[in-house]
Amino acid sequence: MSELVNTRELTPGMQIVLVDGAVVEVVSNPLDGVWVFARYLSSPADPARIGSEEMIFAQDIAEIRAAP
Amino acid sequence: MAAAGAGSGYRKELVDLAHGQVSREIFVSDAIYAEEQERLFARAWLFVGHESQVPKPGDFFVSGMGEESVILCRDRVGALRVFLNSCRHRGMKVCRYDEGNTPVFTCPYHGWSYATDGKLVGVPYFREAYHGELDRAQWGLVEVAQLSNYKGAVFATWDPAAPPFEEYLGEFARYLDLTLDSWDGEGEVEVLGGVQKWLIPCNWKFPAENFCGDSYHNISHRSVDLVGIGPSGSGRRDMRERLMARRLQVSFYERGHQTGVYVLPQGEATPPAYAHSPVVSDYFRQCEARRRQKHGEWGRVIGSPGELFPNTALHPRQPRTIAVWHPRGAHQTECWRWYFVDKAAPQEVKDFLRDYYIRYSGPAGMTEQDDMENWNYAHAASRGVIARRHPYSYEQGQGYEIENYEYQGLRVPGTVMDITEAKSSEHNLRNLYRRWAEFMAAESWDALATWRRGDDGMARAAE
Repeated sequence: MSELVNTRELTPGMQIVLVDGAVVEVVSNPLDGVWVFARYLSSPADPARIGSEEMIFAQDIAEIRAAP
Repeated sequence: MAAAGAGSGYRKELVDLAHGQVSREIFVSDAIYAEEQERLFARAWLFVGHESQVPKPGDFFVSGMGEESVILCRDRVGALRVFLNSCRHRGMKVCRYDEGNTPVFTCPYHGWSYATDGKLVGVPYFREAYHGELDRAQWGLVEVAQLSNYKGAVFATWDPAAPPFEEYLGEFARYLDLTLDSWDGEGEVEVLGGVQKWLIPCNWKFPAENFCGDSYHNISHRSVDLVGIGPSGSGRRDMRERLMARRLQVSFYERGHQTGVYVLPQGEATPPAYAHSPVVSDYFRQCEARRRQKHGEWGRVIGSPGELFPNTALHPRQPRTIAVWHPRGAHQTECWRWYFVDKAAPQEVKDFLRDYYIRYSGPAGMTEQDDMENWNYAHAASRGVIARRHPYSYEQGQGYEIENYEYQGLRVPGTVMDITEAKSSEHNLRNLYRRWAEFMAAESWDALATWRRGDDGMARAAE
């Protein structure tokens, strides 16, 4: 298990991996420590989400994806 | 003393206007306090804040309505909104900052999140735990029933049946304008600095009554007047008005609003103030000249402290401020005070006023400290079983009210008590408790909006 992600440190453009394996890109961060707004880049469980923008719950974040 | 279910006997027992007496119970009874929350604060229009506090989308200011914490915010499209600051899931405050800017209000307890238009937009495990079936549209933040932006001042009510705000004001609007208009009557005002907030150990009606226009307590401020904290450096701030104008108390029987005013003689210029600073003095002299030009004869009216029913105090001049007396139990009040300046005033004027305002009002203000001593000790000395048997006296000036008051060609709206020679009256204080009793007895706004039926206000006063 990777380190717990501090959502307050997430900034627009960063990519994060979710617990279901999806990868999203942070669009904005309300800095409430609970949610970030992000766009789906991939979603193995539900490919229909790719490209959609959703609020991501902090507990659903697995790790920050290293820059390619 | 039982307060519940008192019906028409409620008023007679506790607010005896025929004899000018008010029971101490209405100040110290926990049962009456609890009933006030439902009958007064859940039905009346209450001051929430000023639009200048939330200029941009996402700006918010946490305020109060009665005992409730509320959020005044500007949503994404720029509309003003007022919401109950309580998560629909388990009630936690969704905003624990005093003010700021945010795209969402997120509950820290389980994470429900609301957009600035109140819509529930974030539900943790919506798909998994709720199986996508929670009807989020039904679970937005609780919004006030009505909101009014009156000259930048935001008022709200929980009661959908309450009359629109301007109808709630009636002709009292002309007096409220003395606080909300810019000094020249043409520009905008803004809140100066932050909002002062402090707790005092007394019932909320002590400060409310004081700001109705209780001029009898001026002896309490004699030491302040001797020190000379006024903006001109000596004596009372309004001494010049007192020496040349008619001094009036004005009540609106059907609305419960009241204020003091001075009315200058025809052709007389508004007396100068703020002699300590030539820049400030000159600014106000020019403002007054423009105000007189704009308002004509009405420009002869100079504002003095008043109270918008039930708990919004107005101080239109020297200093210009609004205070709200938030109830925090029968024996405690949270005082909030907003200070206003003309948006377009020179910085030197704003700086001077800031210094004067905090010297005069608020928890550190010399004048308000005098007041708090009185309220706090009066409340404490009224709680005992013996003290509670004896009502307070409100007999001053009873029977000397004047309808259709006119002074040198200027009609003064409201029912007037001319205290130029009498020095003092409890006319306005009686009006506060008259309306208080009506709210406590009335089952609905049908009974409270008597003006819609054309009832005779004087007949009610004579009751």
